[in-house]
Amino acid sequence: MSHLLTALKVAGHSFAENYRSRFFALFLVFAGVLIYSSLLAGVMAVDEEARVITDFGLALMELITLAYALMASASAITREMETKTIYLVLSRPVSRPAYLAGRAAALYAVLASMLAVMALIHLSLLWVRGLAPAPMYLKAVAFIWCKLAVITSAALFISLFSTSAVSTVVIAAILWTLGHFTAEARFLASRSTGAAAVLLSTASLVIPDLQLFNARDLASSVPAPAGPAFLAAYLLLWLVVPYLFSLLLFRKKEF
Amino acid sequence: MTGREDAVLTLSEVHKSYRAPGLFGTAVIPALRGVSFELVRGEVAGLLGLNGAGKTTIMKLATGLLFPGSGSISVFGMPPSDMRAKKRVGYLPELPYFYPSSTAAESLRYYAGLSGLGGAELDRRVSEVIEKVGLSPHARKKASEFSKGMMQRLGIAQAVVHDPDLLILDEPVSGLDPLAIHDIRVLISELNGSGKTVFLSSHSISELEKLSGRVFIMVQGALVRTVERREWESSSGGLEGIFVNTVKGGGPGGA
Repeated sequence: MSHLLTALKVAGHSFAENYRSRFFALFLVFAGVLIYSSLLAGVMAVDEEARVITDFGLALMELITLAYALMASASAITREMETKTIYLVLSRPVSRPAYLAGRAAALYAVLASMLAVMALIHLSLLWVRGLAPAPMYLKAVAFIWCKLAVITSAALFISLFSTSAVSTVVIAAILWTLGHFTAEARFLASRSTGAAAVLLSTASLVIPDLQLFNARDLASSVPAPAGPAFLAAYLLLWLVVPYLFSLLLFRKKEF
Repeated sequence: MTGREDAVLTLSEVHKSYRAPGLFGTAVIPALRGVSFELVRGEVAGLLGLNGAGKTTIMKLATGLLFPGSGSISVFGMPPSDMRAKKRVGYLPELPYFYPSSTAAESLRYYAGLSGLGGAELDRRVSEVIEKVGLSPHARKKASEFSKGMMQRLGIAQAVVHDPDLLILDEPVSGLDPLAIHDIRVLISELNGSGKTVFLSSHSISELEKLSGRVFIMVQGALVRTVERREWESSSGGLEGIFVNTVKGGGPGGA
């Protein structure tokens, strides 16, 4: 059986497990908060209602899926190790690279489906209120997924050496926050000297630049800071490199 | 080790230690001390020892979940991590745990798929083993609703679903009621009758006595004695007497 097929089987099962466990509760929270906040927005933003609802909704979608991504990726492998379900998988003809790839792919798919359903709820709400979505709406949702996929890969890697799921979530959340200031780190590095310059340059290399996936920033920047090919390559790099580092740790891990 | 042609599992001078990080450095805890033995096709062999004697360590080494510190292990002439070897092994860990939201049938389908089964063969094998382990009335129940006995039956089912040539069963009757113990004993005998090699560990001397043709007695990580069926059958104290004398003999080298 090919590694790809095995990875797909692991991904399919892992996706179903995610879907059954925590999926719908988060949707309900999101839908409730969104509907409530849109009513508030309608009152507070008289002329800017569409923009406020769109921005507010996208920000909520990002935060809710981020919370889910961090929790799910922090526990995706460690929980299997704690409950020993991993014994029944890795004692079979399942290679460790295929297992890791399957678990990661399932998380990417879960996040994509969460975002898709949330976007549908959000767009339905805009439609009910008679408001048109912003032209960059779908691009913004896709970019949120890109950011989440990057942080998920990083969190999966962190979870393999972290002492607990909580510490994985904290480290990944710090990485997420710093990832929105990578451009500033580069700018400061160019203005600094000595150890500070080295530190900032290193940080800007090892921390993903998540601002690259900010649709509104990209739309308002002339010329655009990065083209689609560069963004795709950057995304791929930040999915593959943490995966390879994870594999280094996971390859000889004992259970 | 002689490396017989019909050798199924061979351990040769296997040493294994665990590391326990502490405040003042890492303690090295020896788990196996130069263990060597060979299982041949079609036999039922048992591992007997006190808690911490190294029984589970041997089983995990044979399934590729642990790696030896030194020495060599081969399964069907291949390293335990070889996918071709894994395909021919069925493993029941001690106290197996299953994904709580998956039904018995779903879990078996997943594990059968990972072992390379597919299509009609997968459906047939899943139905067969569910019937064989007596879980037919509970096939659509979620694992979270299962009792310990049902979990153990499901554990056996996942170990045999892909029709492996070697069964590695860690405490297969641990904590079960007498009827479940009887059923599992009959199942193991049937599997052996169909040519499968069975390697099991147990605290229950009477179970090993009934099922095994040979028993390996482990004391503090060392294989101190191999007892053949005719020996305990001709001994007044049976296997229990031999075991007690061996363990009280003072551990590695003392028996």
